[in-house]
Amino acid sequence: MNEIISVKRLSKSYGGLSAVQDLNLSVMQGTIFGLLGANGAGKSTTIECMLGTKKPDTGRVSILGMNPFRQRKQLFENVGVQFQEANYQDKVTVVELCQVTQSLYRHAADYEELLKKFGISHKAKSMVKELSGGQRQKLFIVLALIPQPKVVFLDELTTGLDAKARREVWKILSDLKGKGLTIFLTSHFMDKVEALCDTICILRKGKAVFYGTVKEAVADSPYDKFEDAYLWYSDEEVNDDENI
Amino acid sequence: MMRTFRIMLKNEMKLSLRDMNMVIFAICIPLVVLMILGVIYGNKPAFPDAEYTFLEQSFGALTTIAICAGGVMGLPLVVSNYRSRKILKRFKVTPVSPAVILAVQVVIYMIYSVASLILLYIVSAHFFGFRMGGSIFAFLGGYLLVMLSIFSIGMMVGGIAPNSQTASVIASLLYFPMLIFSGATLPYEAMPGALQKIADILPLTQGIKILKATSLGLPIENTFVPMIVMVVLAVICIGVSLCFFKWE
Repeated sequence: MNEIISVKRLSKSYGGLSAVQDLNLSVMQGTIFGLLGANGAGKSTTIECMLGTKKPDTGRVSILGMNPFRQRKQLFENVGVQFQEANYQDKVTVVELCQVTQSLYRHAADYEELLKKFGISHKAKSMVKELSGGQRQKLFIVLALIPQPKVVFLDELTTGLDAKARREVWKILSDLKGKGLTIFLTSHFMDKVEALCDTICILRKGKAVFYGTVKEAVADSPYDKFEDAYLWYSDEEVNDDENI
Repeated sequence: MMRTFRIMLKNEMKLSLRDMNMVIFAICIPLVVLMILGVIYGNKPAFPDAEYTFLEQSFGALTTIAICAGGVMGLPLVVSNYRSRKILKRFKVTPVSPAVILAVQVVIYMIYSVASLILLYIVSAHFFGFRMGGSIFAFLGGYLLVMLSIFSIGMMVGGIAPNSQTASVIASLLYFPMLIFSGATLPYEAMPGALQKIADILPLTQGIKILKATSLGLPIENTFVPMIVMVVLAVICIGVSLCFFKWE
């Protein structure tokens, strides 16, 4: 198996406040990697430092053997990205956004197929801002898949999706994984992470507090269920205890 | 690369037309000003014994209204808006180069400007007896130079303004004085001498001098200083906007 993503000793702070500290990650081809943690644990900062939209203070990032700063154009021919915040023009339609995205890549996928696969092809002529939260989320996953990427980054992909839509999206992603796609995702939704992620890393205040498989995470914790184990690692549970 | 450019241009042009701002400010306003000047001055000569009419004297100035609207208002606002809406950030994680994104916007405002020029020419020739006294090629050359120069100001503002509020304040501070005091709407010749001196500082005033000289067929030597001003301005602003381009 090839290493697709390698992060070594990544650190980033904002005005003295440490957001990510000394993080090491390694993602193998055809696997799903989950970067987990509470809001503000440093997931988005990590993903942005990896993609080069933020500059890490120290550390080395390599994706598909390339440096995201120096080899940006070459690298992003093969990388799909879905950011947490919606970023599109005010009056743009679904089909226009897809066409432009398709035009950016040399080997783009057929976006109509993808829209169909995600069940939003009937919305092609609608304005993006008129879509429901779930439809918009699906659209941004479609945009991330248009380059026919070797690796795809999904930041909080299940936000705004209802249970049924989440299940559909997970199904599509695990099919794509079966075809060799490498997936890097962040989530604070433990639903399905357990079944899908080959490797997880749990962040707390910018530091990795667990790195390994879901099974190991449960075994190393005092709990039997992954969700409980996750809360224990990410320290979300402590507050609940205090309330009791 | 060409395909990216073509599809982005088509898409962004559609978005811009949906917005309607430029249709009003770059297409309608110049025509309205033309009508007003035409109705007030008709075919009167620019001054007693002048070989050209007042309207012919103003034609070059009117063609810069669209350049001004697109260059210092439309261009900086769209670029800074795309930055603050994180649209540029999304483009950063694709293979597209920032030059393509900027070029698409520049071409859109060029299209508006040229459309305005053509409409102004048709209306003034048809209804107000306008005819080009100088060489059409010299005029078009001057027009391109002025456009490049004024657009470069907008690219610089859009490229380096920290956020869209700042960009819109700077754009307004550039746009309204230039529109009113550079002779684009209010004729330079109708201004009192003191105001003319202030107007001379504005880059667009210099640009309009080139367009007047070329459209009226006046001696080209008088436009050397304005031409140097336009070229220097363009070089500085383009340089700054490319060196300091920010994705977010």
